[in-house]
Amino acid sequence: MATATTTIKRGVPPLQAGQGRSFFWRRLHSLSGIVPVGAFLLEHFVSNAFATNGPFAYRDQVKFLTSLPFVPVLEIFGIYLPLLYHALYGFYIWFRGQTNVNDYPWAGNFMYSAQRWTGAVAFIYIGWHTYTMRFTGTHLMGSGAQAAFNKVQVEMHNPWALAFYIVGITAASWHFAYGLYLFAAKWGITVSAKSRKYFGMACTAIAVTLIAVGLATIWAFVGPKWPNTPEKLPAEQTTLDGNRH
Amino acid sequence: MAKTVVLKIKRQVNPDAEPRWEEFELTWKSGMNVISAMMEIAANPVTRSGQPTTPVAYDSNCLEEVCGSCAMLINGKARMACSALVDKLEQPVRVEPLSKFPLVRDLAVDRSVLFENLKRVKAWVPVDGTYDLGSGPRVYPTEQEEAYPMSRCISCCCCMEACPQFNESTGFVGAATIAQVRLFNQHPTGKALKHERLQALMGDGGIQECGFAQNCVEVCPKDIPLTKAISDTGREVMKQAFKDFFRG
Repeated sequence: MATATTTIKRGVPPLQAGQGRSFFWRRLHSLSGIVPVGAFLLEHFVSNAFATNGPFAYRDQVKFLTSLPFVPVLEIFGIYLPLLYHALYGFYIWFRGQTNVNDYPWAGNFMYSAQRWTGAVAFIYIGWHTYTMRFTGTHLMGSGAQAAFNKVQVEMHNPWALAFYIVGITAASWHFAYGLYLFAAKWGITVSAKSRKYFGMACTAIAVTLIAVGLATIWAFVGPKWPNTPEKLPAEQTTLDGNRH
Repeated sequence: MAKTVVLKIKRQVNPDAEPRWEEFELTWKSGMNVISAMMEIAANPVTRSGQPTTPVAYDSNCLEEVCGSCAMLINGKARMACSALVDKLEQPVRVEPLSKFPLVRDLAVDRSVLFENLKRVKAWVPVDGTYDLGSGPRVYPTEQEEAYPMSRCISCCCCMEACPQFNESTGFVGAATIAQVRLFNQHPTGKALKHERLQALMGDGGIQECGFAQNCVEVCPKDIPLTKAISDTGREVMKQAFKDFFRG
């Protein structure tokens, strides 16, 4: 092909027209944040929000999820691998970028930086959260569902853990909502400035809603409504003496 | 004493030399801009402390924000020096060369990467031939109106300088080139190379490197709807990728 032979000795190299695979990996990163990672995030918020209906509703929701067919396959290919890919490739993107929000302190540029920081915070939080909730302590598979509410409640007795939950939920919600905005902009769904503005508002509403749902869920565990849930709820019963439900 | 203005200019005699700052104090004049101030420095190249120095080297030409030569960092932001009115700037006015392009001398940098990128995406209308092809297809006013803002690009490179993704490790092509792809893909004759331009933009350093920080559209002196062009081209590139994969 008769491309020009000019070589630029220093500075930013020119476009490697049609060469390489980064387009595929970068677009996959973008997509993986929506499906399956974002979809799982929504499922996770909804499932945990069952706690606002009390320990028994929570027990039943955990039981439903842990009794889905092919749970290990769903976990590995639906959650762990996509999440790890999204996070690690995300760090790769971050380190190659050159944040300049000090020189150009504008909203979009601030959000560009925030998207990287919220991603990192969410990743650290998710790592810790998965470690304490999935890989250590009472396993929630099978009859473990009966211990679920108590397990979360006990963890949240630690004020540092509670604070980390609030920070992690906020960061993940923000990252997901702005990720939707970025996805729509980059894939050419919201092309006009007007559509981007309105979709930006919608994404803000999504972020606020997710954070509110998260906080309401936390309140179900730490609030006065269901204090000191027993370590193991009865398997069948739907009320506990002394607890309003 | 007459009102004065102070300029702090980053100087560098050659690409390998150490940069140094020089301060100049000039008598204020009505309507002064950064280029006219440097013209006055050239007429009397003496620093604020009375040291004789050399005139500042910089690119400039039209002095009316249409040639794209005089882009530099003024008070930290990429913009055209000719339209940077001193009265509207915070003093001392800090003037630096664009930071992401190889330095030639003082404020002059080598921006040939943009020209190279434009060549790589074939940002032209293919009409060369051995015989007269006659007049081109008609472009309707509605299309003209959409194309015109993008045709105003002056290749100043401000959008690239301000972009957090435009750097040596990403090799990002930058907003200007993507907008030119959008422009020439819309042209009824330019369309002939549409798929080649879109395929070029899928390469390493292509459109995928955009992080949508939206600085480009903020700094663009010609108000080109760059984010819109990137979004629109992003969709076209994606469509082309699917076509290439499924249809071959």
